[in-house]
Amino acid sequence: MISVKNLYKTFHTLAGDVEVLKGIDCQIAKGEKVVIVGPSGSGKSTFLRCMNLLEEPTKGEIWFDGQQINAPGVNIDAVRAGMGMVFQHFNLFPHLTVKKNITLAPVMLKKQSHEEAEENAMRLLKRIGLEEKAEAYPNQLSGGQKQRIAIVRSLAMNPKVMLFDEPTSALDPEMVGEVLAVMKELAEDGMTMAVVTHEMNFAKEVANRVLFVDDGQILEENEPEAFFSNPQNPRTQDFLSKILT
Amino acid sequence: MGDRSLASRLYDDFINQNRYMYLVRGLGNTVLITIFALLIGVIIGVIIALIRVNYHQSRKKSILLRIANLVCGLYLTVIRGTPMVVQLMIMYFVIWASGAPIMIAIVSFGLNSGAYVAEVIRSGIQSVDRGQTEAGRSLGLNAHQTMLNIILPQAFKNVAPAIFNEFIVLLKETSVAGYVGIQDLTKGGDIIRSITYDAFPPLLVVAAVYLVIVILLTQVLHVIEGRLAKSDLR
Repeated sequence: MISVKNLYKTFHTLAGDVEVLKGIDCQIAKGEKVVIVGPSGSGKSTFLRCMNLLEEPTKGEIWFDGQQINAPGVNIDAVRAGMGMVFQHFNLFPHLTVKKNITLAPVMLKKQSHEEAEENAMRLLKRIGLEEKAEAYPNQLSGGQKQRIAIVRSLAMNPKVMLFDEPTSALDPEMVGEVLAVMKELAEDGMTMAVVTHEMNFAKEVANRVLFVDDGQILEENEPEAFFSNPQNPRTQDFLSKILT
Repeated sequence: MGDRSLASRLYDDFINQNRYMYLVRGLGNTVLITIFALLIGVIIGVIIALIRVNYHQSRKKSILLRIANLVCGLYLTVIRGTPMVVQLMIMYFVIWASGAPIMIAIVSFGLNSGAYVAEVIRSGIQSVDRGQTEAGRSLGLNAHQTMLNIILPQAFKNVAPAIFNEFIVLLKETSVAGYVGIQDLTKGGDIIRSITYDAFPPLLVVAAVYLVIVILLTQVLHVIEGRLAKSDLR
């Protein structure tokens, strides 16, 4: 479903060029749940953001659904409509109600009629138990509620894959569970998912595969059982020993 | 003049021969110029702000965008670097000598206001978090849809007080319209003075009318801010 080939990304900053990704290769099959872990500054978020070209790769190829999406002439907006993304800071639209947040894109892109989109939004809100918040504004909600709504906002476009960029990192601890629960449910429904997270228990329970990214490269990848119980790379061992205390 | 009673001065200044109508008609022109000039100013301001933001954000800058940005930069520099009265007179006596004075005033004040509104709106656009653009684009909206539906509404909300302030500044600034023979509120007071040789009461009334309008507009501003803040309430 997603195929990343020899991906490089260099940021040009005032302090000079920073090479964040140094040759990443990765395949994500349909229905697979891939969790990406690694220390901060390792490039894991940039890697994820390259998948829907929020960051433009310096070099390399990104393929989605049989199409190279970072080739010239590709309508990236149409591609992104099929890829949901959830952000660390939710990024709900504060000037719109919850329902309008969810219906905006499907209606504007003519994926659904206004009525269909509203119906769909209410169904999605019901699924996460927030239907009574349909007319509320984002700033009236808790972090956990915001993030759950951000997830269903992406789902409203019926994406083929969902990208999660540290979805629980900005939440108060007591709200992490409710967001992870929605994500687990999504995984059980067969959604293809790529998740950057520090929630190792989520990785253990949900992932088919865990990638360890450090210094712009995938240093180790394995199924979660083996990854956590028997890490091979010394830097993976070091990382896990620090995070699983 | 000192031996005349206040009542007879006031009668002469405002009641006699319906002279208060100079002020009423003048106020009408002042409001007309202000409203339409602000309208033009906001339209120009949005266009310029979009060009300049686009120029700063895009990695591949087309020739057209470069030229547009250059023109905008020139416009901002000239308009903000020269006095309003001079611009008005150049417009009236040189560029557009044959138009209706009120039209010329509207366009002149509009062009002037546009330069200031542009910078206000640009700062408003840039004050919206980058994550908002990313969220819009990640949902499949294109750059224009994202700007129009997600960024601009928030930008306007952020700068609504500043734009309304521009409205108030503009209202007072139109008082120089008399330089090109337009009978605005200030000129109306001046005409009364030239007829009655009594300066103080007409000027005082003119000042009071400006003040009352500004106070009212400020109240309206508070209402607008309250409405806009609805989505901020917890």
